[in-house]
Amino acid sequence: MITLTINDREVSVYGTATILEAAASVGIKIPTLCYFKGLDSFGGCRMCLVEIERVPRLQTACTVRVTEGMVVRTESEAITAARRAMLEFLLINHPLDCPVCDKAGECDLQDLVAIYGAHEGRFLEGKRTHPENFNDPFIVRNMDRCILCTRCTRMCDGPQGAYAIAVTGRGSHSFIEPFSGGRYNCEYCGNCLTVCPVGAIMSRLHRHSYRPWYVEREVETVCGFCGVGCTMVLQMRGGSIIRTMPYVGEGAVTGSYGSAGSAAPAQGLNKGLLCVRGRFGYDYLENNERLETPLIRKKGILEPVTWDEALSYVASGLKDVKAVHGAKSIGAIASGRCTNEDNYMLQKLMRFVIGTNNIDSSARFYYSPAQSYLERIFGHGVTANLIPGIANADGVLVAGGDPTAINPILGLQVRALWRKRGKIIVVGTPSGLRRFVNYEIKPHPYLEEAVLGAIVTRLAAKKGFRGENDNIEKYIKATAMPGEQLLKKANVSKEIVDQAAEDLAMMKSAVVIIGPELMERPGASKNLFLVSAIAYLTDARIFLLSERPNYQGVIDMGCAPDILPGGRPIEADVLQHKIKDADVADHKIPEHKIKDTAWTKAPVRKGLNLFAMIEAALEGNLKALYVMGENPVFNFPDRRKIENALSKVDFLIVHDIFMTETARRADVVLPAAAWTEKDGTFTNLERRLQRVRSGIPTMPGRGSVSYHRGGGADKRPEWKTLAGIGRLMGMKENYLTSSDVWEEVSRVSTLHAGLSYDRIAGGNTIWPYGSEPFRGVEGEFEVEAPGMPPAMDDGKIYLLQERQLYHSGSITRKSKALMSISCEAHVLLNAGFAERCGLKDGDKVIVTTETGSLTLPVKTDREIPENVAYVPNNFDNVSPLGIIGYTVDGYLGSISLSGNVVTITKADGPSDAAAGEGYGDKKE
Amino acid sequence: MTREEMESKDNETLKDKITGMKRTYPSIQSVLMPALYAVEQSYGWLSQDAIQEVSNHTGVPAAEIKGVATFYSMYRHEPMGRHLVQLCTNVSCLIAGVEDLVKFLDKKYGLLPGGTTKDGRLSLCLMECIGACGNPPAMLVDGDAYDNLTCEAIEQILEKYE
Ligand code: SF4
Ligand code: SF4
Ligand code: SF4
Ligand code: FES
Ligand code: FES
Repeated sequence: MITLTINDREVSVYGTATILEAAASVGIKIPTLCYFKGLDSFGGCRMCLVEIERVPRLQTACTVRVTEGMVVRTESEAITAARRAMLEFLLINHPLDCPVCDKAGECDLQDLVAIYGAHEGRFLEGKRTHPENFNDPFIVRNMDRCILCTRCTRMCDGPQGAYAIAVTGRGSHSFIEPFSGGRYNCEYCGNCLTVCPVGAIMSRLHRHSYRPWYVEREVETVCGFCGVGCTMVLQMRGGSIIRTMPYVGEGAVTGSYGSAGSAAPAQGLNKGLLCVRGRFGYDYLENNERLETPLIRKKGILEPVTWDEALSYVASGLKDVKAVHGAKSIGAIASGRCTNEDNYMLQKLMRFVIGTNNIDSSARFYYSPAQSYLERIFGHGVTANLIPGIANADGVLVAGGDPTAINPILGLQVRALWRKRGKIIVVGTPSGLRRFVNYEIKPHPYLEEAVLGAIVTRLAAKKGFRGENDNIEKYIKATAMPGEQLLKKANVSKEIVDQAAEDLAMMKSAVVIIGPELMERPGASKNLFLVSAIAYLTDARIFLLSERPNYQGVIDMGCAPDILPGGRPIEADVLQHKIKDADVADHKIPEHKIKDTAWTKAPVRKGLNLFAMIEAALEGNLKALYVMGENPVFNFPDRRKIENALSKVDFLIVHDIFMTETARRADVVLPAAAWTEKDGTFTNLERRLQRVRSGIPTMPGRGSVSYHRGGGADKRPEWKTLAGIGRLMGMKENYLTSSDVWEEVSRVSTLHAGLSYDRIAGGNTIWPYGSEPFRGVEGEFEVEAPGMPPAMDDGKIYLLQERQLYHSGSITRKSKALMSISCEAHVLLNAGFAERCGLKDGDKVIVTTETGSLTLPVKTDREIPENVAYVPNNFDNVSPLGIIGYTVDGYLGSISLSGNVVTITKADGPSDAAAGEGYGDKKE
Repeated sequence: MTREEMESKDNETLKDKITGMKRTYPSIQSVLMPALYAVEQSYGWLSQDAIQEVSNHTGVPAAEIKGVATFYSMYRHEPMGRHLVQLCTNVSCLIAGVEDLVKFLDKKYGLLPGGTTKDGRLSLCLMECIGACGNPPAMLVDGDAYDNLTCEAIEQILEKYE
């Protein structure tokens, strides 16, 4: 610790601190312009000048580090004069157009000039001018306002790591520009907009539509686009979101945080950063295609009805199905986009009101099977690791997808680790991590197993066994070194494998990041086992990427056929032989109680999972299906099969915010509330519980006040609708607010015992939340016998889903903003391959599988392997998943894509992507 | 050879050139300036494509390279004629009557400072001292130095540059 004196006060700080940080630690504010917490210091604006005793000239507090006995003065006449002079220099070129500048009111320069002057300029020369640049759909540049503080470029080259912008030109004529000079074509995180102290770069989304002081309410909530769960602030006016920002601390409206040595740190696990979806994707919420009233199919047409009518229709419909076909013929699909409260209530309705365990979600595709497999190897909570800790590791292995696209803010942590000289090893196309790897390991998809196996055997030889987990060691020892022939076929050299094993062996604090692609293939369990083996050998922390904000919550709320809220296995009693098999007829045996709150019991036998429900529907055994916040027709593979299955369901209820492809087939459609319109909690991929807060005031009389569209409609959260249905079916409990629901969760689930909203509010509610996690499942995992990896026929092209940074499932196609940067589906092909086929960017091709075809423009990419065709599953009329089939992995229970060998031929007609048929207009 | 083949061949040699530079310079950043000269020679000026190409071969982000390129005035930031005439107009050359030469270039070829002839043959750039003050006026044509210039001499010299 070093002790110094600032303005006659003694201050003790660590020796690495700057004067600015030391001053901030005791609440002394030094004005700044180019400084921004979290970015490298620059020392360019000279606003932070201070006097240091025995140092002849004024010094910049943001760059000078403290020394023992230093005596600093932060305000004096000389300092004020210097600051005024610096500001006058800036105003030589800065236009005085505050009245038409959106930044006015939260502009650092404006604030500082108000304090220090100069109120009149002495320069008569003309100002440097730059035309306003509107070439980009998101970011408008007014470069004559730029004060060249380089905060934006330091953000883009630093924490964001996108390297999209640079200071261009020289001297006072320089300005900030993306490479193209017009469109940014960047990652569009908007983090440069957060840091710009003036109105030089701003979001076009709300251009000239409000003033900072018009913001009526600021609501701190959690982003609803992916499993990272970034903290963000909704700035509301009249029930509408006018802007989303990262957490901006106190007084966000008038002061820009992070600057001026602010003592309030940027909060949330995202530390003040957002990705494109969180920052710009919110406008889908106010899309005028939002469902506003419940609909019931009458004479084949979906007709608007009142809520009362809809709820009793659903309740009586479900009662009828149960009376005739039994509870087993009813099922539900929960949603990774809905809150814990919503999912809990759906689970309660199914299990304890109707009496069926048939409930699951698309977490079944990969997230929940992978997690349960990993937990069987390593024990409960093995994936509960903190995202901000990634950057503190010394190396990371990524397999199964690009974290910078699937979970962008987690991806930034990987980049941060690289900046700290950590090693990054990616098995697969590195994409967003391309600049951050030393060598590439790009096996042909379907042959990852060979490469992972080779790494595991070499790594085991180098590291040896520490005898901690006999079971996994046994399997690792049994792993055979894949032959050179196989490695060659996988297109990865022996040297690279050796290098990777060498680097992994050196890691003292490793991280393993597992993405969905690893599990989508035949032999998924082998891939997952091998990655687990690497994690075991390097003693790594494991992260499981999650495409939905609340996949973890879906599982924890018991929205799975075999577990109760909190994770207790349904069949635990059966497994422990407390129940005789003969007694296992519903209701004859000791029941599962949700402590004392539930009025009835759940069946003892586990229910049907997602895949089994689809099969049951096809066989005509699933008579009623409740789909909440999911769009199986579009988001699940094998569209024909799914449509077929749904057509055999007598009573289909869809609870969603849009008229989705699935909703159009429903008997009842119930409008839902989006994540910004309700209170509740999400559990992110770290298993951190976080509060989701409604931006819309829920006070009586306020909800209907609306200046903009979107404020008026009844945005009833799903749990409320579900509870309404439950009560009509005999449920006794009544819930007024989401906290009543949560209160029940915290009593029912041992995992969440004693957790109140107040405790969750801090964002530090981390697994296992102070409870005793359920134990007793470790050690029972199987490994598929090593053998030949699945057929990967030479020369064949495999259709795979491209997971785009700019989109999230099928909801962001309703975001005009995101559609303006990525508006059209394409088929991504290896550039060399495309060239050989005589295809170039923009050519139309027909991609055909056994069951269907898509006409798409070609996009080429040098980085991806030759034998794959990537198509995003995010655009109207283009569902690559729809034209491929699936099977269920025998060991994991996850989905493996099948029937995805495609032929690609040149097309003449227009592409599907451009067909532009607005969905929702389609008549049944 | 088709135009495309020529171009791609050219790019192969560029790639080799820049890859070679990587071995002789201590850091990738220090390769940028010679690499920019190299692409400038092959593209005629630092077009977006030219800068992108340097980025492809060096791995340095294109925006950063553009920042470097635009910092320096000696790179060609606009398309230019096939030959660049760099005429000194600093003190020594000024005294020796370079103004007449400037006028001559305009009259004879329609070539204005900063401009290019209609046939795309010549571009003119007025320079500060090019270090040939001993025998003014002086100029550079594509890298070849000429001094003791007169209108007649210039005419003769420029004939050589097709
Ligand atoms: S939006 Fe993000 S990626 Fe694009 S220039 Fe700004 S900081 Fe860089
Ligand atoms: S655009 Fe804004 S953040 Fe970037 S240098 Fe200019 S003033 Fe600074
Ligand atoms: S990383 Fe995920 S949670 Fe964070 S802003 Fe982006 S989409 Fe939202
Ligand atoms: S020089 Fe210190 S804040 Fe700019
Ligand atoms: S002044 Fe012309 S060469 Fe020096």
